[in-house]
Amino acid sequence: MALKTEIDSGLMKAAVWSGIVLIVAMVIAQGFLMHFIPPPSPDLSADELAQKFIDRKNEIRLGCLIQCMAWGFWATWSMAITIIMRKMERGYPILTYCSIALNGGGYVFFILIPMTWAVIAFRPETLDPEIMQIMNDWVWFDFLFTWPPFAVFMALIGVAILKDHNVPTLYPRWVAYLNFWCAILIFPAGLIAFFHTGLFAYDGIGAFWMPFAVFFGWMITMSVTTFQAINRIKATQVAALSDDEPALV
Amino acid sequence: MSVHTVSADRPADLLKSSSTVVWLFLIVATVVSWALGTDHGGIENHTAASLIILAVAFVKIRFIGLYFMELKDAPLVLRAIIEAYCLVVFCVVTGFYLAG
Amino acid sequence: MASLGTAPPPDDTEAPKKVKRIPGEEGTWIFIFGDMTVFAVFFSVFLQSRIGDPDGFARDQAELNQNFGAINTALLLVSSLFVVLAMRAVQSTTQRHLAPRLIAAAWLCGAGFLAIKILEYTEKIQHDITPQTSDFFMYYFVLTGLHAFHLVIGLVVLVVLYKLSQKPEMTKNQYSFFEGGACFWHMVDLLWIVLFPLIFLVR
Repeated sequence: MALKTEIDSGLMKAAVWSGIVLIVAMVIAQGFLMHFIPPPSPDLSADELAQKFIDRKNEIRLGCLIQCMAWGFWATWSMAITIIMRKMERGYPILTYCSIALNGGGYVFFILIPMTWAVIAFRPETLDPEIMQIMNDWVWFDFLFTWPPFAVFMALIGVAILKDHNVPTLYPRWVAYLNFWCAILIFPAGLIAFFHTGLFAYDGIGAFWMPFAVFFGWMITMSVTTFQAINRIKATQVAALSDDEPALV
Repeated sequence: MSVHTVSADRPADLLKSSSTVVWLFLIVATVVSWALGTDHGGIENHTAASLIILAVAFVKIRFIGLYFMELKDAPLVLRAIIEAYCLVVFCVVTGFYLAG
Repeated sequence: MASLGTAPPPDDTEAPKKVKRIPGEEGTWIFIFGDMTVFAVFFSVFLQSRIGDPDGFARDQAELNQNFGAINTALLLVSSLFVVLAMRAVQSTTQRHLAPRLIAAAWLCGAGFLAIKILEYTEKIQHDITPQTSDFFMYYFVLTGLHAFHLVIGLVVLVVLYKLSQKPEMTKNQYSFFEGGACFWHMVDLLWIVLFPLIFLVR
């Protein structure tokens, strides 16, 4: 019996760590290698943009490879949260299933970002700059304009926490409100369709920096609180087992 | 939990609170701002009228914070945040306005 | 845990010293103050870009219909009052049954705001005024649009409050959510109280 009391949360923690790896890889690949944090201005001419891709094609290719691998971790990271959501839900686990669907779909958008950049950097010298410009726009729309599934995921986490039946709740209740706030804050990313310059252009403070900072700040906060939740669940299970009671599921 | 209980024998008794008085003030202030901002207010100087409008707006939101959101009876931190918000944002907004 | 809606403790007669308490719960205030801060940044950005072209901003502003804005302010204020009354109804022993109706009234005022907003946007678009027209109109559409987005969320919150207010009793968490939701609705009002003068009135 004593041996069985050890509950392995190692894989769960690894899944959370994969999100941290994602953030670090993102900064290295997109920031240092590709020079795409902040984005090139949507107001650049096609030729100016083409020159950027020609000058840095090898860095961009390498960055894309790193990013392509790192974005895969979105699925592992988000499922760690989803599993804890499952423990918060009773009856119909609709929030859990919605989260799985949203993140499975959302993850495809992420992979398409480095994939498209890699295609542009594949033969930038001979690619028509006009086409390149459209493809590059496409990437930034893929990056920002696809905010809704992620905002909905945040909102679902919030709802799950508020309805959590565990005592105490697995995540602190303020995390719920933080999620609601973040869901609203990334909304301006949807405004990039209207503006080539200014606050809500895809290199603007409102449409890029705010959603970007909010999103990755949110990932860090959720990682920390998820570690705490895992530890709390484990402590409860260990306590329950040592009392010779069945473990909580 | 220490929630104060409202004693109201008739439906109209629900209106017997400082919030109602605050609300009447907010309505009057809105009319005044509207008049000042649409040349019905009798102040020719646009800058002066605008400064009054801004000041009134921030007094209004302070009242909303203190009475409607009930921050008047909240712990000091929350109360301080709402007061600071009104003051700081008013100063910043006025500064930008006067610079323009 | 105190169940709400039951008779007050008898020591109520002594005019007790008010206990400091957080309306809603701590998290509500992360959300509300966080949102208010973001809007404060937007207010500043708007006025900062006005510095570059005060005449253009004044010219464009003259095309706005101040009456729409004023009516909308009044609607939100009335709606906030309904929410305040609903809060008091929930706290009272005898008038609790009024709370759902008061929330519904608040919701209708909010929906009225949205209807007028749509009317206003339609009028602008019919006059060929879009976010592309000028910087001023870009800010006009984006800031009022963001506010309208908050209002729509607020309407959803009010529906939840309506459901809660129908319950004979609320748990501690439900009551906290009710209070927090009411505060969120007041925040929607509060933001408009600054936006209206800023965009429509200040010249």
